[in-house]
Amino acid sequence: MTNSTDLSALSDKELRKMEIAIARKHSGMFPWEIIVWAFGNLAFWLTLWPLVIFNVVPLWLGFVIATINMSLVYLPTHDAQHDIIARPGQKLRWLNELVGHATSWMITTPFQVFRVTHLQHHRHTNDTELDPDITSMASGPVQAIWSSIRERQPDGKRANDYFAAVARAGREDLIPISIFYKLGHVAILCVLAWSGFALEALLLWWLPYHIAMTYLTFFLSWAPHHPGNEQERYRNTRSWKSVIGNIGSMGMQYHIVHHLHPYIPLVRTPAAYREMRPILEARNCRLGDI
Amino acid sequence: MEQLLRLIMAGLPLIFAFGFLVPVIAQGMEALGWQAPFGLGTLTFALIVGGTLGLIAQIRNRWI
Repeated sequence: MTNSTDLSALSDKELRKMEIAIARKHSGMFPWEIIVWAFGNLAFWLTLWPLVIFNVVPLWLGFVIATINMSLVYLPTHDAQHDIIARPGQKLRWLNELVGHATSWMITTPFQVFRVTHLQHHRHTNDTELDPDITSMASGPVQAIWSSIRERQPDGKRANDYFAAVARAGREDLIPISIFYKLGHVAILCVLAWSGFALEALLLWWLPYHIAMTYLTFFLSWAPHHPGNEQERYRNTRSWKSVIGNIGSMGMQYHIVHHLHPYIPLVRTPAAYREMRPILEARNCRLGDI
Repeated sequence: MEQLLRLIMAGLPLIFAFGFLVPVIAQGMEALGWQAPFGLGTLTFALIVGGTLGLIAQIRNRWI
C-alpha cells in the first residue's frame, strides 16, 4: 500500500479490517529496546550520583545528563502501562510490572497511578470532565509550557484530576500511595540537602525532574492532541511534523497510531503509521505533513 | 493515614522551604563565593530568604 492510495471508497468494515491487519503485524513482538532503555536509563542516573559527588563528573554535566535521564523515564513505563512487554498471565508479566515500578518513582509517581490515569485518558480523550490529562491543553506552545509549570504548583488542578480519575476507577487505595511518593521525594531531597548535598539534589533530581515534566507534558500530551477539542476516535489525536524530529519529540509524531492501537510498541509506531496512512486519510484523521 | 499525609501535604511549601530551599541557597552562595549582606551569616541569610519565600508560597498556595 502506498501513501497515494485512495481508500475513501471502501466501507467502514473494510477499512477496519485493513487497519487491524497492519496493527497486528506491528505488535506482539518482545520490545527488548524498551527494556534496555528502562534499566539502562535507571542505572545511568543512579551511577551519576557517586560520579558527581566524588567529582569524577562536574555538576553542570551531571545536570545535563540527569535532565536527559528524567526525560527518558516515562516512555518505558508507558509501554508497561499498556502491557506491551507482557500481558496478565504471560510468562514475562513480572518484567512488564518491574519496568513500570522500577522506573516511575524517578518522576515521583507510582506506576499504578500512571497506568490507571493513562487508561482513563485513552477512554475519555479530550473530555473536559473525565480526561485526567485535560489540563495539558492550551491555546499555544508558550501557554502549554506555562500551564505545565502552573499545574505542578500546590494549587494545580492536575493532581486533583488524577485523584478523581483513580477514584472513578475504584482505586482510592492509590491516593495515599501517590501522596507518599511526593512526600518521599521531598524527604529525600531534604535529607540530601541538610547532609551537604543540596546542589547535587537540586541539579541531579529536582530541577531535571521539573524540566523533564514540562518537556514530557508538552510533547507527549499537548502537541499530539492540540487543540484538544474533538473526542471522536479518529479525530481526538493527530500526526504532526515536529521541528525537533521524531526522536526529539519522543516518537509522538505518530501518536495517532498509539491511540488507535495502544498495544503497538512505541518503536513500531512509525512503521505502522506509514502503512496505515492511506486508511487514516480515508478516515478523515488529522494528519500532518509526515 | 491518608488524613495525616494530606495534613503534611498542606504544609508542604513551608517544609520544602526550610528543608530544601534554605540549604540550597546557603550551599549555592558558598559555592559561588557570595557573602550575605549586612554582616549576616550565610545560613541566617538563607533562612530569611528561603523562609520568606516558603511563607509566601504557603499563603498563596503557589510558588509562581
